[in-house]
Amino acid sequence: MLEIKNLSVFYGRHRAAEDLSITVSQGEIVVILGANGAGKSTFLRAIAGITPYARGGFVSIEGNDISHLPPHEIVEAGIAFVPEGRGIFSDLTVKENLALGANPLRARKKQSENLKRVLKLFPKLAERKGQIVRTMSGGEQQMVAIGRAIMSSPYILMLDEPSLGLSPLLCKEVFQNLMKVREAGLGILLVEQNAKQSLAIADRAYLLENSRIIKEDLASILVDDPAVQKAYLGGNGDETGFKEKLV
Amino acid sequence: MDIVVIGLLLGGTYALIAIGLQLQYGVARIMNLANGELLVAGSFGAFWFFSSAQLSPLLSLFIVTPLAFVFNWLIYQYLIRPLVRRAKNRGQLEVDSILATFGLSFIFVGLMTAIFGGEYFSYSYLEQPFNLLNQSYGLNRIAAFLVSVVFCVALYIWINRTQTGLTLRAVAVAPESAGLVGINVPNTLALAFALGGAVTAAGGASLSMFLTFDASVGVIFTMKALIIVIMGGVRAINGVIISAFILGFVETAVATLIDPGLTLAAAYLLFIFILLFKPQGLFGGHAS
Repeated sequence: MLEIKNLSVFYGRHRAAEDLSITVSQGEIVVILGANGAGKSTFLRAIAGITPYARGGFVSIEGNDISHLPPHEIVEAGIAFVPEGRGIFSDLTVKENLALGANPLRARKKQSENLKRVLKLFPKLAERKGQIVRTMSGGEQQMVAIGRAIMSSPYILMLDEPSLGLSPLLCKEVFQNLMKVREAGLGILLVEQNAKQSLAIADRAYLLENSRIIKEDLASILVDDPAVQKAYLGGNGDETGFKEKLV
Repeated sequence: MDIVVIGLLLGGTYALIAIGLQLQYGVARIMNLANGELLVAGSFGAFWFFSSAQLSPLLSLFIVTPLAFVFNWLIYQYLIRPLVRRAKNRGQLEVDSILATFGLSFIFVGLMTAIFGGEYFSYSYLEQPFNLLNQSYGLNRIAAFLVSVVFCVALYIWINRTQTGLTLRAVAVAPESAGLVGINVPNTLALAFALGGAVTAAGGASLSMFLTFDASVGVIFTMKALIIVIMGGVRAINGVIISAFILGFVETAVATLIDPGLTLAAAYLLFIFILLFKPQGLFGGHAS
């Protein structure tokens, strides 16, 4: 289980994240919803060790304290992060990206097992083994990113807006893939603006507003919450269809 | 034919030197202007072992190269790393590292002049002629060429075929992503820098077999390495090898056909043309 207590991030005097506390268990999808600039990305980057956070913030995985560790030690501890922009090696091949994913010591023993898992999940990557990732489509690159993350044999997979820049169809595909990842027993912490699709696959959700968590509940309950509908499900033009159906 | 062979032999050693700079600039992202001084230090190392202990440069190479590795690693940890930590972006790091290593190059020149003196140095090793295609070439040149071939092949295989080599390439293309796959980025950068310095010093040791050198000649080699790296592309190791041969060939051709005094001028002319027409390098391809 990933546990975060009282995590705050300051950019100068600006608070980008304030006293955030969440938990994510293995085998569940947890989504953090929030508007642009609510502090979602900052939060994930802080957990991943990229963005420094204030003293007093506490992060642990499977009971091990991993607060304030550098990114490579966070991966070693069992948290894989797919940042916005995917964090892949676009000048290298698919095969090399997956091999790099298995670079953490804890993942090396299970490299072939994890590779099988990834190729079962994304059979397309097996066909495209030798392709330079930069030359692939956005959806395929997202597969490489998720595949690379699974190769590190994580307990928890964190993704920052995996649907960003993808067509609705590809977007759906990505979310379906995340459900398959959950079936494999991983915990998923997802940050999204696409509330409709992410709530549809999530088990639990947190609402983030002005750098604070204002609500937390089961995804199935939040979907029907009037405040959520108003703020996240009605806001975007492309989701009006969904809103009408709900109303 | 003569020009082609001599150009090839020269280019081989240039390739080694340029790969050294490429590791430092392309992977560790430090434009090391003191690179040439480390090359000269390698030359002095080989010279010293040869003149004081009669040790063949082909053997002292195995002492000089690891020493250079350790020395460069220390330079990175104590001089460069604070700059890396402080830099807010790549541009600032570039400026800071150029200024710092430029200063460092003067310190090295001063130290080497103080220790060895300001005169020219050379020693005779393998000065027998070697016949190749009805022409004779110095055996020492051929030995130096073979040394760089061995080093280049070993490096190429190591970088392209091993997991550590892969992490090195990962850090070169996307340092932020590298941290996310559990690569210790600061250590990998230090490794690349130290390895680059070691390779350069090995180049210096093999150059000293046939070239006369002095304490202040380093800057010329820094510039040559820079020309080759820019020409070949910052990250393409095969591009750098080909470019090294091009430079070796151009220099030899100009020196034999026109005037030996014009070799450096020809090299820079080549450099300017590349900056004007193909700034990403002949083999750099996509610049991200």
